[in-house]
Amino acid sequence: MFLALREMSRARVRFGLLICAVGLLVFLILTQQAIQGGLITGFVGALRQQSAPVLVYSVDGERTLQGSVIDPGLEAKIRGVGGVAEAGWVGQSTFTVRVDGGAESDAALIGYEHSGLGDPSRLSSGRRPVGPTEVVGSAADFTVGSRVRIVPSGPAGATSPVFTVVGLVKDAQIQVTPTLFVPWAGYEAAVKAANPDATTVLPSVIAARPTSGVSDTELVRRINAASPDADALTRSQAASDTPGVAQVQQSFQLIFLLYGLVVPLVTGLFFLIITFQKAAALTLLRAIGARSGALVRSLLVQVVLVVGGGIVIGIALFAPLTLIQLGAITIRFDPGAVLFWSVGLLVLGVASALVAARRVLAIDPLEATTGGGGL
Amino acid sequence: MTLALREMRRRPGRFAVATIILTLIAILLMFLGGLLDGLVASSTGAFRAQRADVLVYSGNSRNSLERSRIEPDVRHQVESVPGVTRVGGLGSVQLGGRVPGRGARDLVPTVLFGYELAPRGLPSTPPAAGMVYANDSLRAKNVEVGSTIRLGPARSAVTVVGFVSDTRYSGQGTLWGSLETWRQVLNANRPDARVRPGVVQALVVQGVSLGSAGLPERIDRATDGATKTLTITQAVNALPGVSQQRSVFNQIIGVTVVIAIVVVALFFALLTIERTALYGVLKAIGASSRTLFAGVVFQAVVVALIASLIGIVASLTLNALIPAGTIPFVATPARLLSSAAVLVVAAVVGCTFSLRRVLRVDPAAAIGGTP
Repeated sequence: MFLALREMSRARVRFGLLICAVGLLVFLILTQQAIQGGLITGFVGALRQQSAPVLVYSVDGERTLQGSVIDPGLEAKIRGVGGVAEAGWVGQSTFTVRVDGGAESDAALIGYEHSGLGDPSRLSSGRRPVGPTEVVGSAADFTVGSRVRIVPSGPAGATSPVFTVVGLVKDAQIQVTPTLFVPWAGYEAAVKAANPDATTVLPSVIAARPTSGVSDTELVRRINAASPDADALTRSQAASDTPGVAQVQQSFQLIFLLYGLVVPLVTGLFFLIITFQKAAALTLLRAIGARSGALVRSLLVQVVLVVGGGIVIGIALFAPLTLIQLGAITIRFDPGAVLFWSVGLLVLGVASALVAARRVLAIDPLEATTGGGGL
Repeated sequence: MTLALREMRRRPGRFAVATIILTLIAILLMFLGGLLDGLVASSTGAFRAQRADVLVYSGNSRNSLERSRIEPDVRHQVESVPGVTRVGGLGSVQLGGRVPGRGARDLVPTVLFGYELAPRGLPSTPPAAGMVYANDSLRAKNVEVGSTIRLGPARSAVTVVGFVSDTRYSGQGTLWGSLETWRQVLNANRPDARVRPGVVQALVVQGVSLGSAGLPERIDRATDGATKTLTITQAVNALPGVSQQRSVFNQIIGVTVVIAIVVVALFFALLTIERTALYGVLKAIGASSRTLFAGVVFQAVVVALIASLIGIVASLTLNALIPAGTIPFVATPARLLSSAAVLVVAAVVGCTFSLRRVLRVDPAAAIGGTP
């Protein structure tokens, strides 16, 4: 321990550079982990937060809310399936809006017919809408009391609905866009203001709740069996099966794997080289009675200090990032992910130093008397 | 230089681990870059293919093709702007396509474009109603010349008469037909988005700049703000997520390059410390610091080049192995070569941290002249 610390304090630049490299790698891993989480929450958070246990898309919608349209024929088939206790319309579209008279911006509107089927399952603040001009907004983008005007198609000054945000819900964006949950009448008015040529406003999906005794997955199976044009999904399936989510996860996993390999390799290389460099001194220490175990322990203490120091620096760089909004993505400090990577990288770092430890164990003290001492 | 090369030949093991780490970093750089290129290419092809100077959206559309609506009177205003030579309508609709030979639930995501001014790779006259050209990425989905694709819940039939390359949009394969075909399909399948005859989503404009005001400014002034005109590059960057993707990926790539610099600096600093005595001897027999440091730089460049070469092979292999429609990875020569160049520069920068140590080596130490 004493030797390990003494050596580190005497070769501060060398160890400092390694700690910085590990720290940067940890920072990158944690940041990308948070970006992945924020991106997926931004893509499908609204689906996770909405209250309907089952959502029925049209097969043509390719499991995207905006791409799906349920025509009356398909709706009738869905409502007629045994086990459907309650069903209601849910629509989604993106609009140009002005919030509190400010500049034009984007907002996704999710229109729902019945409370409990498509509206947020729980609010983080405020209350639920009681009329068609009251809405619940995504907490990252709106405040209670905000007034949101749909910018109409055609000349400026044309009439269009104005919504008041009366409640907020966390992590409830869709398509990484500020999102509003609005009663159906308000949604219909918004669609017609944005496109005066719209003849009918059909739902994007049908939200359904099973009768008592029928599970969500059983209801999904029954609905899909009832019509080849229906694509029923449970709430969690609707979120995870949204196009793009799996690709984002696969891409990030590959990136994590590569970074995860770089950390132990850099650490392992460093300690292997300095073990080579210290060969003569280590041989001398062994010759004057130092045990191999003590030398290996000294090496491992340095590894833990280096990787631990890197982890602390990485977390220190990452933490302030979680206080800001990265575009439309919320970067969150997830203690579970930080702990997972900290422990994982520490274990990998120690494992990578085992090659150097093997070299230490192989030192022959006799070499000190013959002028050797190389490894 | 000969000495540096000979050392690498005789003791390759000494450089192996550094090469492995730099190879991993090279693969990371190329993978991140390829992922960015793949994402951007699959989102922007339809716009990049436009043979036009500007794209005209409606003023309140926030540069979104899906939300934009250009009425016939606005089109006339644009056509009469001095310097505008050709104007064509453009419309799009995203729909699932039923392709012959695939299951009833196995739809192919497509975007049908209606056009008047032909994008690159398409004939100047749009095909007859009901006929379309397909992006060649759809070949992997069983689409062939003569295939009839049934689009959307209304099963609107369009027949493929040919293929066109690099025109993907929003990550999906595209179909290109006349405005008439687009309008029929849109109105049949999306009653909430239907358009009247003459209405299009955007205008594709060819023209020339006159005087100080550019074409976009003159168009928007002529329509009194009813339009928002962008150059093709601006329109590509305004597509949802494109600039954000570029920014995030470039930042990650930047930090990865910094890590490469630190790794090289660390490795060559350790190597230089190890060789201090040897450098003392070499200096004592007349080698200059410049020669010795050139040897260090040469070794760093060789290590970086080997790592880059392996990285390029790995990226090309990955590109060939990744199934279509999963990870949007594209290995382009430009990206691979630029990543290799960045890595070589990072290696040179990294090893310059050893310069001070090389300069400080005292030849007298080699002959016992220092305590």
